[in-house]
Amino acid sequence: MREGAVRKHVTRTIMYLFLIIASLISVFPLYWSFISAFNNTQQILGGWMLPSTHLFENLQHLFEQHNVMRALKNSFATTILQTLIALAVSSIAGYGFEIYHDKAKDTVMAILMLAMMVPFVAVLVPLFQMFTKAKLINTWAAFILPSIATPFLIMYFRNSARSFPRDTLEAARIDGLNEFQIFVRMFIPMMKPTYASAATITFMNAWNAYLWPKVVMQTNEAITMPMLVANTMGGYVIDYGVVMAAVTICSLPTVIIFFCLQKSFTNAVAGAVK
Amino acid sequence: MTNTASAQKKKKRLSMHQKQSLAGWAFLTPATLLIFIMSFYPMFSALLTSFKRGKPTALVWSDPLWRNYQFMLKDKVFIQSVTNTLTYLIIQVPIMLILAVIFASLLNNRDLKFRGLFRTCIFLPCATGLVAYSMIFRTLFTYDGMVNNVLIKLGVLSEAINWLNDPIYAKAVIIIGLVWRWTGYNMVFYLSAMQSIDYSIYEAARIDGANSVQQLMRITIPLLRPIILVTAIMSTNGTLQLFDESVNLTRGGPGNMTITMSHYIYNTMFTKNPNFGYAAAMSFVILVMVAVLAAVQMKVGDKR
Amino acid sequence: MVKNEQIAVENAHHCVGNYDRMYTRNRHKKVNGSAKSTKHTCVFASICFAEKKETTTKKEEDWIFMKKFVTLMLALAMTISALGALAEADGKITIWTWDPTFNIKAMQIAKEMYQKDHPDVEIDIQEKLSEDIETAVIASNGDTTTLPDILLVQDNSFQKFVTNYPEVYADLTGKYDYEGFAQGKLAYSIVDGKNHGIPFDAGTAVAAYRTDYLEAAGYTADDLKDITWERFIEIGRDVKAKTGRPMLSGQAGAVDTVLIMLQSCGASMFNEDGSVNLKDNEQLKEVIDFYATMVKEGIFIEVNTWDEYIGTLSNQTVVGTIQGCWILSTIMSLDTQKGLWAMTNLPKLVKAEGATNYSSNGGSSWAIVNDKDLDLALDFMQMYRNVDFYNEILPATSAIATYTPAKEGSNYTAGSEFFNGEPIFAEIVEFGAQTPSNITGPYYYDAREALGTAITNIILQGGDVDTELATAEDTVNFTMGF
Repeated sequence: MREGAVRKHVTRTIMYLFLIIASLISVFPLYWSFISAFNNTQQILGGWMLPSTHLFENLQHLFEQHNVMRALKNSFATTILQTLIALAVSSIAGYGFEIYHDKAKDTVMAILMLAMMVPFVAVLVPLFQMFTKAKLINTWAAFILPSIATPFLIMYFRNSARSFPRDTLEAARIDGLNEFQIFVRMFIPMMKPTYASAATITFMNAWNAYLWPKVVMQTNEAITMPMLVANTMGGYVIDYGVVMAAVTICSLPTVIIFFCLQKSFTNAVAGAVK
Repeated sequence: MTNTASAQKKKKRLSMHQKQSLAGWAFLTPATLLIFIMSFYPMFSALLTSFKRGKPTALVWSDPLWRNYQFMLKDKVFIQSVTNTLTYLIIQVPIMLILAVIFASLLNNRDLKFRGLFRTCIFLPCATGLVAYSMIFRTLFTYDGMVNNVLIKLGVLSEAINWLNDPIYAKAVIIIGLVWRWTGYNMVFYLSAMQSIDYSIYEAARIDGANSVQQLMRITIPLLRPIILVTAIMSTNGTLQLFDESVNLTRGGPGNMTITMSHYIYNTMFTKNPNFGYAAAMSFVILVMVAVLAAVQMKVGDKR
Repeated sequence: MVKNEQIAVENAHHCVGNYDRMYTRNRHKKVNGSAKSTKHTCVFASICFAEKKETTTKKEEDWIFMKKFVTLMLALAMTISALGALAEADGKITIWTWDPTFNIKAMQIAKEMYQKDHPDVEIDIQEKLSEDIETAVIASNGDTTTLPDILLVQDNSFQKFVTNYPEVYADLTGKYDYEGFAQGKLAYSIVDGKNHGIPFDAGTAVAAYRTDYLEAAGYTADDLKDITWERFIEIGRDVKAKTGRPMLSGQAGAVDTVLIMLQSCGASMFNEDGSVNLKDNEQLKEVIDFYATMVKEGIFIEVNTWDEYIGTLSNQTVVGTIQGCWILSTIMSLDTQKGLWAMTNLPKLVKAEGATNYSSNGGSSWAIVNDKDLDLALDFMQMYRNVDFYNEILPATSAIATYTPAKEGSNYTAGSEFFNGEPIFAEIVEFGAQTPSNITGPYYYDAREALGTAITNIILQGGDVDTELATAEDTVNFTMGF
């Protein structure tokens, strides 16, 4: 009995150790960029691991040379918009593929998946020309339209729709709910973990999007945070303190969103088996 | 009496079925339409371009049409990029997915303290911006960087490795970077999926004498099969289209030794003298590769 | 499925008051299946049809919050719709350039000076990275509607862009007076004999050294002036032996140094007719010989990244550097090293014909876009023939003119505090006038990459110079053969 307890204790210690090391390795770069926001160029290139006192001047230079508030505003607006619309469009599509499943829909799904397999670089130019003709350059429409319906999200929601109980569905129909109401009132509340994790991932992807936005948001009024961070590195003289300050500001929203949403998709819903 | 009743019933069922079917297609429409416009139209345009050659604003049909594809076979850099990308795929994707499953199952354990903290920490690499991530990795793996110092202190290495300037070790840096960055991402999906696995199953298994490993292998993984398939396809797709790491971590590596296919296509279009036809042709080869691999994975993994 | 049923049951319990009513009503409906379905029905029905709940569950609260949040965010997002103007012919000049402390600053000063005499001309300076500008031009595929009036182009890419996108870049021949610009610099923006650009900052190469480290080995900066690479290596060996420090550093595989050395004798990777010149390029072989020797003996250290290269200057691991003059801005930002640096010209090749002590690396020129306000833009760009303008931007940006009359400006002839009073800027303009030009052509970056691979193989794997250069030439010919 005691041996079992000892073994269990050892296992648990190893587990904690493993997780702690993994966490430290994972967090280190973010920690370093955060610390570096407090340092100046010489300290950063010299590999300092502790904060110094240059935070104020770094922030000062950053805000003087670049319009950070505007970039943040743009980033937030486009990212939130993209997240909401992507979730709406893709989840209903995934639900549709699964609940009303038939051979035809399988074929359509397979065709749609082809769409994500082309390297984005190749479709960049034709896509840009399309938006130019539609006079949508520099608008939020150009930013979000290519990314709101991704086969991945559709696949993800289709997957979770598999665990939507069929008899519940039938019962709801008999009660007179139409299909859309079933989706909105039953599926969405029930699939909260899925929506929360999809929201986190979509937010992160939209926030960090760089290649397409920089091509299609050309004026300074439309600049987003990742573009601003890249701009800080674009000169003959790079002020690394400014770069790191920008990087830290850019990393914060995703971290905060994750922190807020993680309870939704990782804790068992209240009322599970006691 | 019975006939009319059942006939009426049949008619009712049909129209209800039709209504549902209609609703089903209606649900798909916004997404499908968007994907067709945003992805298929440009893709078709790129396909046409792959049969052309010349300056970007003055493309003419190739003669023979598949000329660009012929050139691909003779292009040493392209072949190198394909080899590199496949290497990353075979090594990185399994490691990353296995680690993600392990972390997810560890962090799903009710009795573990600080779960929220660990979860956030392991997810953070995705949130770390590309700039910070690449700068830090480049700094860590330099000749007198932290990685070499630590490894020498631990006795694993007798001499420092020139990571970024060595054809093999530079690839290792990319693989390490990818695993570091994306394990947390996949872990999130697995954690989310694990919420629908009833805890009582684990309890029953424990009572039956199964240890953690057995629980993982016999319960968790089979139940997570669909989501593992989804992440596998996504990771394969992502790695075959790898771009950011090749550009920012190693810049294609010492002399194109770590360059990926997407990076080479990007160079062909934007850095070197623009050759759109060739770039489009290479893109389609990638498309075929990814499609084949995805089909294989679906066949193997997807069970209704 | 078990778990969801549990959820359903739990939620049902929250529906105070309505539960019983629903249950009774539904029990009488015909439902397919077992009693379990009936339970499901009433449970979910209670959720759906319950009108007022005494207690809102967390789920409902979240949902309400979500709806409010969504509305707010949508409103916020809508404001983005009213976004910036696209470039058009409208009496307004839009300029795309990068670096707030350099190019953008220079354009801002130009704008101020211009608007003194032309107050009603609107000038809009947009910050855009060099690679983003290039991507934008490529993505536009010749359609100038989304492009600005004036944009900055790196000299190394100029030929590539004008050759591939002739519809975009306006022909300025005869419309702008090019007298006084350094010939070597001007050559970059001349394609097929036509002028397409207005030269801006000099990429003139300089050699900068730490005088204190040189002293420790018994040398002064003068000892490194007007010398040959052979002599340089001798000195380098000595300095390394006495101070343990390498003379120079550079990014591995980036071939900056090799190309600087190559250009110093007027040679290029291409011939006049546009064909590749790598395999039989004797000057290149001499350059590689010197370069490989320096790397092998530790006189030149190759680092992996650009940040590391800057780090060697900032962390004081090297004695000096040979780079485009824009590196001086970085050096001057290292306050702790003030007064410890001196600047001079480059060592020259020995065997090569036309060897000089001067070269260049980098620098850009302004281009004007077609189908826009050409006359207005040209009028504005007269600023770049204005000596006062160059004088003004020098202390603010350290941008050094390629317009030779500028060297008379007071700021140019003034001594630099950082460099112990040396009039480095006037010197650099003079260097610039003596810098031989080189041939870039549209395939410059293809050749640069191939050469980089060759040199990496030579240095790292000990490859044979002739074989590697032959491979490099084949690679470029392959690309050109499309």
